Amino acid sequence: MAERPEDLNLPNAVITRIIKEALPDGVNVSKEARRAISQAASVFVLYATSCANNFAMKAKRKTLNAGDVLAAMEEMEFERFMEPLREALEVYKKGQKGKKEVSEQKRKDKEKKTDSENDKSREEDEEEERMEEEAEAENEVEEEEVEN
Amino acid sequence: MLTAEEKEKMAATLAAPVAHADHEADRCTSEEENRAAEALEEGVQQQATGPAAAVGHNRLSKLPLTRIKALMKTDPDVSLASQESVFIIAKATELFVEMIAKDAMVYAQQGKRKTLQRKDLDNAIEAIDEFAFLEGTLD
Repeated sequence: MAERPEDLNLPNAVITRIIKEALPDGVNVSKEARRAISQAASVFVLYATSCANNFAMKAKRKTLNAGDVLAAMEEMEFERFMEPLREALEVYKKGQKGKKEVSEQKRKDKEKKTDSENDKSREEDEEEERMEEEAEAENEVEEEEVEN
Repeated sequence: MLTAEEKEKMAATLAAPVAHADHEADRCTSEEENRAAEALEEGVQQQATGPAAAVGHNRLSKLPLTRIKALMKTDPDVSLASQESVFIIAKATELFVEMIAKDAMVYAQQGKRKTLQRKDLDNAIEAIDEFAFLEGTLD
């Protein structure tokens, strides 16, 4: 399913809401102005991505990370964004950590249930769990690398 | 600052059809990332309906992360992007929209108008250094 660039504009309703919340009450925005701002926002995403990617490539990384984006903001002369972005990132990271813990807890609960149902093959299960935990530890390390 | 070459590349990206198939994008992201991004997107959509929609803890970004990520992936030089980076770009874009709307509004006010018009945008882009990258990119 190839995506055409026309399909990749940011949703009009969201753009309109951001604009309205930024401007004082009683102010209107023409359709042409809204369309232009939406287009500008898409260009901004591409520009920021390209800039951030340069930092990633300089560091010989294939994965674009948050630090690259912050460096890009400075390069693009949007330093004023850096502090609010850092704060938002902190909140976001906490939220992600919570989600990960919830899904991990669910997985552990599921395993406990399986164990109690199979008393005869308990030894086998224990060994499997140990192997799974090792694999998980490896995965966690991988995930951390990606998220950094 | 952007070179003419880079601007051309961006304009071409926006104008030309996207070459890489979507399954390539899927390989790049983990399933978990997709689910999390979808959950965030759903959070945004909930917010858009009903005036009584509460501000959920998950709704940190007004813009849908899957759409932002798809835009980022149109850049052929980008291989992988962490979830966090997609989020920060979404957030930065939000700040950008706020900024350009406010800066353009100054020109509308100078013209004693209460309606923001396209020419106000053009004036802001011409006058403000940070918006120089937009010159020649809008229809």
